Amino acid sequence: MSAIPSTTRTWCLYAGGLLVTLLPLAVLSGDLFWVNILIYTYLFAGLAVAWNIIGGFGGQFSLGHGVFFAVGAYMTARLYLGWEISPWLGMIPGALLCATIGPLVFWPTFRLKGSFFAIATLAFNEVGLVMANYLHTVTGGPRGLQIPFKAGLGNMIFADQCIWALIMFGFMALCVAITIVLMRSRLGYYLLAVREDEEAAHAAGIDVTRVKLRDTALSAALASIGGSLFAMYIRTIDPPTLFSLADIGVKFALIALIGGIGTIIGPVLGAFLIIPAESYLRAVMGGGLPGLHLVVMGGVMLLAALFMRRGVAGALDALWRRRSRSAS
Amino acid sequence: METLLNVLVVGILLGGIYGLVSIGLNLIFGVIRIVNFAQGELVMLGMYGAFLAYSMLGLDPYVSTLIVMPAMFLFGVIVQRVAIQPLQAESSMQIFATFGLLTVLQNVVLVFTRGEGYSVATKVASFSIAIGEIRITGTHLIILIAVTAISVLLHLFLQRTLMGKSIRAVTQDRQAARLMGINVERTFMVTFDIGSALAGLAGALIAPIYTLSPGIGDNFILAAFAVVVLGGLGSVAGAWAGGMIVGIVEAFAGYYIDPELKQAIWFLIFLLVLVIRPTGLSGQVGAEEVGFREQS
Amino acid sequence: MNIAGRLISAAILGGGLLAGTAIAQDSVRIGAVNPYSGPLALYGDELARGYQLAINERNAKGGVLGKRIEMIRGDAGNPQQGIAAVDQLVTRDKVEILIGTYISAVSNAASDAALRHQKVYWDTNALAAELTERKLPNFVRSGPHGANFAEMSVRATVEMIAPAIGKKPNEITVWLEHEDSIYGKTIADVQKVEFEKAGVKITGIGAHNFRAADLTDVVLRARRANPDVWVQTGYVPDGNLMLRTAREQGYKPKMILFVGTGDTFETLDALDTEYLEGLFVVSYPRPDVAEKFGPGAAAYLDSYRKAYNREPVAPQGMAAFTGMHMLLDAVAAAGTTEMTKVRAAAKQLSDRLWREVR
Repeated sequence: MSAIPSTTRTWCLYAGGLLVTLLPLAVLSGDLFWVNILIYTYLFAGLAVAWNIIGGFGGQFSLGHGVFFAVGAYMTARLYLGWEISPWLGMIPGALLCATIGPLVFWPTFRLKGSFFAIATLAFNEVGLVMANYLHTVTGGPRGLQIPFKAGLGNMIFADQCIWALIMFGFMALCVAITIVLMRSRLGYYLLAVREDEEAAHAAGIDVTRVKLRDTALSAALASIGGSLFAMYIRTIDPPTLFSLADIGVKFALIALIGGIGTIIGPVLGAFLIIPAESYLRAVMGGGLPGLHLVVMGGVMLLAALFMRRGVAGALDALWRRRSRSAS
Repeated sequence: METLLNVLVVGILLGGIYGLVSIGLNLIFGVIRIVNFAQGELVMLGMYGAFLAYSMLGLDPYVSTLIVMPAMFLFGVIVQRVAIQPLQAESSMQIFATFGLLTVLQNVVLVFTRGEGYSVATKVASFSIAIGEIRITGTHLIILIAVTAISVLLHLFLQRTLMGKSIRAVTQDRQAARLMGINVERTFMVTFDIGSALAGLAGALIAPIYTLSPGIGDNFILAAFAVVVLGGLGSVAGAWAGGMIVGIVEAFAGYYIDPELKQAIWFLIFLLVLVIRPTGLSGQVGAEEVGFREQS
Repeated sequence: MNIAGRLISAAILGGGLLAGTAIAQDSVRIGAVNPYSGPLALYGDELARGYQLAINERNAKGGVLGKRIEMIRGDAGNPQQGIAAVDQLVTRDKVEILIGTYISAVSNAASDAALRHQKVYWDTNALAAELTERKLPNFVRSGPHGANFAEMSVRATVEMIAPAIGKKPNEITVWLEHEDSIYGKTIADVQKVEFEKAGVKITGIGAHNFRAADLTDVVLRARRANPDVWVQTGYVPDGNLMLRTAREQGYKPKMILFVGTGDTFETLDALDTEYLEGLFVVSYPRPDVAEKFGPGAAAYLDSYRKAYNREPVAPQGMAAFTGMHMLLDAVAAAGTTEMTKVRAAAKQLSDRLWREVR
């Protein structure tokens, strides 16, 4: 890894990066089709960044983040529907709950690594799905929860999609900022050390478990907030939607993967690759032969995996290095 | 009492199905250590292969295994060469590739079949053994026999043949195996191909039981992972036993507690076992602690 | 249609969609929101076929509002995709009306999005009762909803099955089995209420996942309760597996009543005619229903066979066909595709139809 850039440089890059990702919104704000795509892109970018904290940087490849997402969604929706609590506030209990149960549930499984941990967290998601279906009083069961349209800033319900795009953008910006702060802090260095070589880190006196637990809490809390935003945007949530592995739980990991796992910008790049691609393919080819657009999408994924082995971030990095080498 | 025996028998037969579907994955996951999301699709292809043989050639699904297995072996060769092998150094990216593969396979079948629910009938296995209240259908019995026989054969293969020993060596410690002169890449290839053929076999054998659809692989993939991890990596006997346990737990939970909760129950048990004994029932000690970084 | 034909038409359709926005508005464009991929792709496709057949018929008679009718599909398997599909159909493909939708959650989100664009959302197939309870100003439902299925199944039990087995309604026992998603749950909830109202005794209610690898527990539990009528609400995979398992286990209740599925060739292929003889099914009207009970059904069956060279796969397609016709009638009566006028015309049409039926 190259030398760690200075604080000013990092935050300048951050601001610059944010402007770049905001550009598509500025340009396309009139085209609702693209605004919609951007809404999901920003949201999933933020979620992938949140996932990356423990999944990429922490080396614990979780496929169970869908549960945190769902908790945030249900909690916010319930508080809003039952007690008219503004989702801006309603986000917080969900986040706190996930910050508690996340570490609690992941902790016993921490000694599982790699694929084992991934599969264990998959089981976690499946249990969550069954419970969400079963506990009608809490989650509305299979029917789910519907939030009627009542526009208002306090309600977090808007007619103008561009406002939603800005909110999701804000979420993404928040997640990235938190990641940067985290990685530049002592906790962040610990985290990197743990990921590089857990035994050495342990030998160096780092409390590996505590580091991971703190990261899990943070990652889970952010995923929960993402879920809350999702719930208020879609306004109809049910177990199949929230616990879908392909669309939610596994998707966070996949986006971070293809973007460049363990880099700050990777998940954002991944989201900007995957979400527009699949949305566009669905829009253009979805009306043709059933499933054809997904064949293409799957092919895109395979090609991306084969030609960008270290993700988009890795590919860009390699390009950059080649250019600077040929320049010198 | 009779009902209890009936439920037990149901569980054992179901365990046979889970075990059969998991055998290929046990090899692939155990040796190559990738979360092969596409494994369910390999089983699905075996099922559709049996259907094609049935509808176009009139072959009984059990006969069609003679075609399906080699075909899936070849398919495994292609997939491994094209998608798995190149990413050997980046095992997390392999996961991404298998997910892409899952998407492609499932949807290619959807394009060709529109998703219509096909059925495969069998004359060979259309018998049923009745012992009091207990019913043992031919289809299920053949699967139980098959999974046991294959497990035994596989065990002998792994213990006695040179390739089998290479596979076991690579499962235990990839780097040491390489140092010992074992061609690890070739081992991966053979493993994946055999795993694919076994998945195809499983598909052909369970085809008479279910209504085919492009997404049917999804029904089994999570159970397969649970069985493999529960049984312990690298252990054929463990995987067989793991299948039995999942099947029996599901049968009992479904009948005595609630069919709606049965999946969650064995998932919870699975999680519990992982936490208490991460190596699974009889796996290699320390196998679960190989993370992504150390795998190359 | 053979594979080559399908591929060519897909290419044309894809190309057409790409160029779509350039076509002049000399046709009335209707966006059809359904799952065209994923586990329910088959039903989405059947629905779209129903829509297309209705459109073909109308175009042969001059279209609607003096223009040709064109249908454009929007693939949506979950609520997010539903919103995206509506936005795409309205902004890029310039549709004036939206129709759908096999999945209730999708219909919910998509109709919401359609309201933002001030477009009618005409639902032909989604079953959730809440969809009309929301009282959205742009939403119209033309097909039956879950409660209708439930009520009909109770009526079937009380009016047809009870006399057939020689019992009075308050002597009959039923077991209510259902798949555990919103579809099965909604219907089962209403069934419970209606059966109790009719005085029928419910010996138990069972829920299962329609994708379960084994349903012996479902069969054994029902057998243990020994009901007169075994009622099942679900999809094809679980229905088939249940019947097969029941046959294997030697479980023969006096009557089996399937709600929603069970009468297509997918079930016939899975079990033999001998076993299926006597199976009661409460479902959408079948394309081959007698003219007396379904006037126009034979014509639909005929056009489907001609257009697609095979038998219809699911009766939901015919409900879609009829729904599209009703939509076009409403548009013609309103003289415009504008939201409030079409809805008002639909209301008038609905009132008139109900008067005629009674």
